[in-house]
Amino acid sequence: MKKLIVTLAAGSIFFASTAFAHFQMLYTPESALTKGGTLQLRHVFTHPFADEHTMDMGKQHDSQTLLKPEAFYGVHKGKKTDLMGTLKEISFKGNANAGQAFASEYRARGMGDHVLAMVPAPYYEANEDAYIQQITKTIVNVAGLPTDWDSELGLKAEIVPLTKPYAIWTGSTFSGIVKSAGKPVPFAEIEVEYLNHDVDVEKNAMGPANVKAPQDSFVTIGIKADQDGKFTFGIPKAGWWGFAALGAGPDTEYKGKELSQDAVIWVQARDMK
Amino acid sequence: MKKIFALCLVFVFSSAPAFAHTALMSCFDEGDGTITCEGGFSDGSSASGVDVRVEQNGKAIHSAKFSETGDINFTKPSGDYVVIFDAGKGHGVVVDGKDITE
Repeated sequence: MKKLIVTLAAGSIFFASTAFAHFQMLYTPESALTKGGTLQLRHVFTHPFADEHTMDMGKQHDSQTLLKPEAFYGVHKGKKTDLMGTLKEISFKGNANAGQAFASEYRARGMGDHVLAMVPAPYYEANEDAYIQQITKTIVNVAGLPTDWDSELGLKAEIVPLTKPYAIWTGSTFSGIVKSAGKPVPFAEIEVEYLNHDVDVEKNAMGPANVKAPQDSFVTIGIKADQDGKFTFGIPKAGWWGFAALGAGPDTEYKGKELSQDAVIWVQARDMK
Repeated sequence: MKKIFALCLVFVFSSAPAFAHTALMSCFDEGDGTITCEGGFSDGSSASGVDVRVEQNGKAIHSAKFSETGDINFTKPSGDYVVIFDAGKGHGVVVDGKDITE
């Protein structure tokens, strides 16, 4: 009997944990800057709402060696800058465990938009015996001049914003279009999560949870795009919100295993006060 | 009466570029003894060709127009100064030299 209960309990923990979505974070404290400066960036593969597990970025099923990201770059006024050399390996402390992540600094000096794009190596998720690759964008603006925020970078999986991701009042909305190798993805499945913890960039650690979800549907909010791949989501609270379009990209296999090539974008809402 | 309305429309439209869009300017210290300022408008349009000047004690010490790429570079003045992006009546942007960092 005891054995059965333990097994059941373990089973329920297992199922509960897989219910929360994975999100590649490309975090910086502030996306709407009044003037240029050097930004602190943190690249963490985690569950931003529940923070019950921090993944090791680049984990493989056939090797202990973690793979480095495939690409990381910035785009400003149409000019692409390779940022791979700026990535430094860190151990990021989540509330449950620490995981392999990266820290980097980015000099956002010029006025306008700076689109940051991270293409991590596929991550092996043992629970699903499958790989996840979340191609992620975060957009920072200096001094209010719009330049590149709506540009399409030509990523395999990409959410192209229809709303400036750094200019969202709490209570307004964010709209985007999900694309697979440049083509809209009708009825794309999108997961939305609130970054429910303060990120300590000095300590490379997550703070305690800020809000409590009444039920699991509120931890990872599932929405769908329309027939043209477009979606709109109302932003109820200030802070960072992540959108992940699952399996949006054309690649479906990696090292002989199933691959979910997702498109992620982060947006930041501010209170009117 | 109709004519007045038409005139009003003309006025509204002709002043629209400066009216509907906020003038924006951001400056930084190049660290080589010069300052670069970039100008633009909130709709993303360029400030290319628009007047910009550097003032010290209320007197212009440098006058120029934003370049094709919407920026200007000038020798960093010693002492207090301000950079003024003059986008027409009531649409200027003033950046204090004290706020310009590397």
